[in-house]
Amino acid sequence: MFDIKFLGAVQGLGFSALLALGMVAQARAQAYPPYGPDIPVITNTEGASGAYGKDLQKEPAPNPWNHESIWNMRVEGYNDNQARPIYQPLVVNQDGREILYTGNLAGTALNPLTGVSESNGTSIIDVTDVRSPRFLYHIPGPAPIAGSYAAAGAQMVRVCGGNTLPNASTNGTSGHWYLLRAFGNAGADESHQIWDVTNPSAPKFVATIISGLSNTHKSWWECDTGIAYLVAGSAADGWQQSGSKQHLYIYDLSNPAKPTFIRQFGLVGQQPTAPVATAQPCATAPSDTCYEGTTNPPSGLHGPISMGTTVNRIYIPYGVSTDGVIQILDRSKVLNGCLTGGPVGSNPDASAHCANSPTQADLLWPQISWITLNPENGGHSSMPIFNVPIPEEQSNFLDESPQSKSLLFVSSEATANNCYGQAPHDSWILDISSETTPWPIATLNVPQFPGNFCGKGARFGAHAVTEAIYPPYYGKIISVSWFNAGVRIWDIRDPKNPKPVAYYIQAPTANTESSCSTINGVTKCFNATMNDYVEYDDRGYIYAADRAGTGVTILSLTGEARAAILPQSDQ
Amino acid sequence: MNRNWFVNTAAFALSCVAASAAYAGEQVTKSGTASTVGTISNQKLAQVMPGMSTKAQVQALLGTPWRIVQFNDCGEAMDHQSDETWDYRGKDSNGTYRVHIEFDGHDVAHLVAKIPDSVAGDQGTAAKIAPTGSQTAMKM
Repeated sequence: MFDIKFLGAVQGLGFSALLALGMVAQARAQAYPPYGPDIPVITNTEGASGAYGKDLQKEPAPNPWNHESIWNMRVEGYNDNQARPIYQPLVVNQDGREILYTGNLAGTALNPLTGVSESNGTSIIDVTDVRSPRFLYHIPGPAPIAGSYAAAGAQMVRVCGGNTLPNASTNGTSGHWYLLRAFGNAGADESHQIWDVTNPSAPKFVATIISGLSNTHKSWWECDTGIAYLVAGSAADGWQQSGSKQHLYIYDLSNPAKPTFIRQFGLVGQQPTAPVATAQPCATAPSDTCYEGTTNPPSGLHGPISMGTTVNRIYIPYGVSTDGVIQILDRSKVLNGCLTGGPVGSNPDASAHCANSPTQADLLWPQISWITLNPENGGHSSMPIFNVPIPEEQSNFLDESPQSKSLLFVSSEATANNCYGQAPHDSWILDISSETTPWPIATLNVPQFPGNFCGKGARFGAHAVTEAIYPPYYGKIISVSWFNAGVRIWDIRDPKNPKPVAYYIQAPTANTESSCSTINGVTKCFNATMNDYVEYDDRGYIYAADRAGTGVTILSLTGEARAAILPQSDQ
Repeated sequence: MNRNWFVNTAAFALSCVAASAAYAGEQVTKSGTASTVGTISNQKLAQVMPGMSTKAQVQALLGTPWRIVQFNDCGEAMDHQSDETWDYRGKDSNGTYRVHIEFDGHDVAHLVAKIPDSVAGDQGTAAKIAPTGSQTAMKM
């Protein structure tokens, strides 16, 4: 099915035609990063004045803390995820079945399917029928160490189809589906694993890619090339970071059973040979031994996004919630930069130890630019959207041809309960049309009033920008998870003037983990949900995953939010 | 795999089964899965002392928790947000509630709260914490 929300627009089509349209839409969805190299084309549906003067509905105030609040969205389905707190949801069209994978934060809960209390790992839920999701399987995470779950959890998940991976016949991946996940978060022996999820009800362990890690985080896996950008770090690798001790380990996972190491990579100042004790900021004292950003050594990496072979760019946020840096890289030069000859991107001056202990010059070879955030904001997400038409620039400017801009959506993560002890954390739109001089053009902000979000408990502020590419939404709307303020969606068709157009705040349930804080000597606990990530599937359903153990809610767009994604003729 | 997680998980499961005998519960279902609601003795709960009670002592008093949560996220959370939390579900004459106990890195309880499901939100529910200045004091 193409999209239930488009049914009204295609009522005249017969069922066969609709089915064919749906198949095309799903095939297209699998062609975009990280599944393929294509990028959707965005058409302008705005008048010359853009968002100016639009008579949009005023955003309604949210309901009281213990009620659901919803605006221009509709709840289509729900699963409680066995009361496990979710970090990241990912929905994959797996041979016609829509499978939701959730990477869960650490802890333990009862798995009713087995009758066993299992360490939180990876949940697998069939959401083909969104109104009746079926929990298929839970792959446990790491066991507690000496009774503590501090090093446990399996927060991150990526899935590739074996038919999409290169050399499928040679490698024997044809017909299979593979799950890449972090196994553990921060401890002494974390790892990244591959599982065969061809039968999502009976996953099979395939391989450990790398173990002995002190940190893992949000990886990226290009399915059409097999290249995986693993976020990892270990005491033994010698790399240096402030905050989270993690950078990139890049592997070729074309054959998931036989991972091939390519190189490690990070920000200038993080390499093992960086002289942290004496290094000066590259911005004010450039040298062969400087560091990029506002802290020395630079903050750890959060999660890379590669836009694949066509765009040939990788976008990396560092810092999460403080001392952030956003980096734009030439993908070919990252992958081949330690080769002195041969493929595109190779570096004739690469050092002998480039793959594991690069010089500053090795790290600079693929770097196109880097943007330093102010110290009170970090780089959590950096998701690009290319060639967004600018409504007011469709005539008169430059050579009078219609103008568009490539944008980078950046967010910083709020980390404090009740806002206490930190600055507000927002999301921003950067114009990256000139890649060497990115420039902010707008802020995506949710005010604490109405809603009293700083008073309702848990975290309030931005977290993550949606990474899934669903063509009808691409360049039209953007979603950002905003913890206790829920899913937040903006109309970005006039990106200099983004307009809030929808939100969803989940009501707490008996499964909602309480959040406690001490302010001015008074400690209180609150029951509030926290939307951790919001993602799309290839039918346009929107998945709001709750960090506080309240499950995953499946949503669709209504009203003005739905109108924003329709062709101009249907608006 | 490089961890003996299966053995440990099985051992934990056995402990859950054993504890369930002492933790008389009923199943309350909401949208598919269940949360266990039991009877928690107020006298035993009062014996859980912030700054003093260990995990082993809490388990001996209250049994195996319904759920354990560890928000060890991006390594950037504020102090104590990533401490391990043990949840118990209970019901008394005022309705259902959760007992929320946070442990510090030394496996000592530093926060204990009995939080009604129906009374919290922007009012919050007061919690007991370890004395200020002790090893387990909250810094937020």
